[in-house]
Amino acid sequence: MTHWRSIALGLWPALFIGGLAVLPMLRLVWFGATEPLPFAQQGGDFWQGLLAIWQDDYLRGRIVWSLTQAGVTTFLAVSLGVPVAWVMARWRFAGRGWLLQTLMLPFVVPTLVAAMGVLAWWGPQGVLGQWLPWTASESPWLLIAGNLFFNLCLVIRAGVAGFSSQSAAQFDVARTLGATPWRTFWRLELPHAMPAILSAASLVFLYCLGGFGLALLLGGQAYATAEVAIYTLVAHELELVLASQLALWMLLFTGIVVGLYAWLQMRHATPRGADVMVPRDLQKKQWWPRIGIAWVWLVCGAVSLAPLLAIFIKALSASAATWAHVLSAETGAALFNTLRFSAAGLVVALVLGVCHALVGGRYWWWRMWGLLPLMVSPVMIAFGLLLVVPHWLDHWPLLVGAYALLAMPLVVQPMAQALDALPTAWADAARSLGATPWRVWWRVTLPLVRPALRRGAAFALATMVGEFAVTLFLSRPEWTTLTTLIYQHLGRAGRTQLESAWVLSAGLLCLTLWLFWLIEKPSKRGSHA
Amino acid sequence: MKRRSLVWLAATAMVFPSLSVSAAGAPTPLRVITHSSFDMPKELLAKFEAEAGVKLTLIKGGDAGEMLNKLILSKEAPIADVVFGIDNAMLPRARKAGVLAPLPASLLALPLNPAVKAVDPQATAATDWLPIDYGFVTLNIDKAWFASNNVRLPTQLSQLAEPTYAKLLVVQNPATSSPGLAFLSATVQSQGAGVWGWWKNLRANGVKVSNSWSDAYYKDFTRNGGTRPMVVSYLSSPAAEVFYSDKPLTESPTANLNLTGGMYAQIEGIALVDGGATTAVTQQAALDFMRFMRGAEAQAALQTTMWMWPVSNGVPLAPVMSHAGAAPSVKALDAETLARESRDWIRQFNQVVVR
Repeated sequence: MTHWRSIALGLWPALFIGGLAVLPMLRLVWFGATEPLPFAQQGGDFWQGLLAIWQDDYLRGRIVWSLTQAGVTTFLAVSLGVPVAWVMARWRFAGRGWLLQTLMLPFVVPTLVAAMGVLAWWGPQGVLGQWLPWTASESPWLLIAGNLFFNLCLVIRAGVAGFSSQSAAQFDVARTLGATPWRTFWRLELPHAMPAILSAASLVFLYCLGGFGLALLLGGQAYATAEVAIYTLVAHELELVLASQLALWMLLFTGIVVGLYAWLQMRHATPRGADVMVPRDLQKKQWWPRIGIAWVWLVCGAVSLAPLLAIFIKALSASAATWAHVLSAETGAALFNTLRFSAAGLVVALVLGVCHALVGGRYWWWRMWGLLPLMVSPVMIAFGLLLVVPHWLDHWPLLVGAYALLAMPLVVQPMAQALDALPTAWADAARSLGATPWRVWWRVTLPLVRPALRRGAAFALATMVGEFAVTLFLSRPEWTTLTTLIYQHLGRAGRTQLESAWVLSAGLLCLTLWLFWLIEKPSKRGSHA
Repeated sequence: MKRRSLVWLAATAMVFPSLSVSAAGAPTPLRVITHSSFDMPKELLAKFEAEAGVKLTLIKGGDAGEMLNKLILSKEAPIADVVFGIDNAMLPRARKAGVLAPLPASLLALPLNPAVKAVDPQATAATDWLPIDYGFVTLNIDKAWFASNNVRLPTQLSQLAEPTYAKLLVVQNPATSSPGLAFLSATVQSQGAGVWGWWKNLRANGVKVSNSWSDAYYKDFTRNGGTRPMVVSYLSSPAAEVFYSDKPLTESPTANLNLTGGMYAQIEGIALVDGGATTAVTQQAALDFMRFMRGAEAQAALQTTMWMWPVSNGVPLAPVMSHAGAAPSVKALDAETLARESRDWIRQFNQVVVR
């Protein structure tokens, strides 16, 4: 791609992220550093204070805990998820396709509902939690269980994709030369899938480190992460100096992780092979794959499915009065808004995400720029926008922009990965035959990356349907989405209010499942996750 | 082909600039920022818009504290003309930051229920803030649990630390929940320095601390499947339980437990945002809206939408509100003390009760 075309394409996503994420954050930092608010406690030099927060027991504790919970979650997700992914990539079994689809669901559950689902299962009075010694009422494990619930699917799906792209010929050669299955796994299959797994692991770490909603709801104050501390400092105390200092440190840490992720992606980009391994059917006499399959169901069931099931059970036990309450014009309007905002956000995220990915993977900093929305604290963005564009905040395009901003990285990642894996020879051949760049994109590249685009679109849509951080932005009653409606119900006393929240949550899950099915259906033919 | 696609991209990417155009003779636009619990019947708001010739833009700014902080941050270019939901305790902070503009005497002269004046004589005498509704934070109990377990209700706060009531209470963390802060403030105000000893005893007696009202009420309260039959909630909650019950009820399943020193009074008000309404028509629209919120219809409606009590004189109570019992005679806490010390209280609470 020529220089000028890259710039013409890349300008839009660059401006979008710069204007909606970086600028507000810097503006808020600058405001805090230069304009003393009447109640701010912190005085002194801003940059000295930046180092001084490491001497503050509380704030240092928040940063250390943020890193710890992200590390523990990532370790658990990889050690539980990789065996699951391997079994799912190698064996065909009843419910496999369904499971692969369903595993995405936790990712889209509205955060508050997810927290309640996780608590209903793992919590102190939860179905399983009441028998476990470590789920005291304030326990660090609850946040980790919640993190796993959200993120295990990332490792599993990346792992399935990684193991599935294994060349069948290579594998056969290794086995013919006498390698045991164990040896083949360690020497051939795992190294082959490793880049995908490591990428997913760094994403999990990133989500846990920068995650805000779940940490707020499950970690509480005793186990508040740095993001929660930033939220408390900005939204409730207006301590902008401390918040900015903390946010800058977190930006540094998330930046390192994102840099690692971008580097991994660039370094291990492998062109797609033609002869990939397909999952096999189970033979009658083989018993050990059955143990593996049992492991798959055990892990997925306990970590990801049970909290979802808890939501459905609660919804089904709702009374007739609740159903009458839920089936109202209010819910209809919220449903319409959910679809409207998500669709508009999806269009923006897709167009900008594709532009970003097309400009290419040649520069690590460009890849990092595309993932910036995951690095910058959403609290800083939401409040920074008050300073940057105060008069646009009650206009819906800004809300759509916020949705798109949070969803864009989810389009960028699979697209960049797919484009990396694309053999350049095909596009070159088309071009040498006289096709215009637009035609090459439309007739060659797009059909090849379509599965990745679909996956990105599904994830992006999911994020938008249940995004918690959006609640930080200004809203209007006529913009009420299903997610905000659930929050509204949970804010009032009365049996039908609670039951309505469960029913709406279950409805939201069904809606998302249906949207997923719609978007991902055509790509289900392939074995790719 | 290529150029067209770029134009399309540009058009999609630059969705920001507003396209709204206001025509002459159209209704006056008015921006009202509210906390997230603001809720009024649509028909009533539409009627106001038609009668006053106003086009309302309601903006929800998060919980009340968050909303005020957003106003303070955007002081140079106000995001709203009118603010609803600043309460008597937040008033000093709002004033200090200079986000409120003075109100005309005609509005301030609107008749106010004497009971509201008694709650907070200082705040209700304000000239930059108009009371709209008021309510109380207090303990709620699950009647069925106390009946079937044969436990007598406590009559004093101090009893909550006794073995009889071990592991029966859930409160909210004051750092993350406004009723939690209200309850803590009430206990500090009534018990003075000795309050931390009492909280320590409560902790030893197994008090549970939840993050939010929703958590406490919907997960820990026995009425909703939890293990705690006493919860910090609102005086109006038993009435809401009847109003939103799954089957018709003649009696609320929950009741208030109004213990001395465990109740907190709160008055919510409406105000002009300084620098917000700049034109005479917008200012008029703002005053019209404030007057509307003090009118009989709005005052009647807010009882069962926001679950607060009306402040205007002579507004009848909604029948369902009888399930909440009579409003207790509680005085609001001194707002200046609250503004100055609440942060210390929250820190102390977390040291004594949580960590």
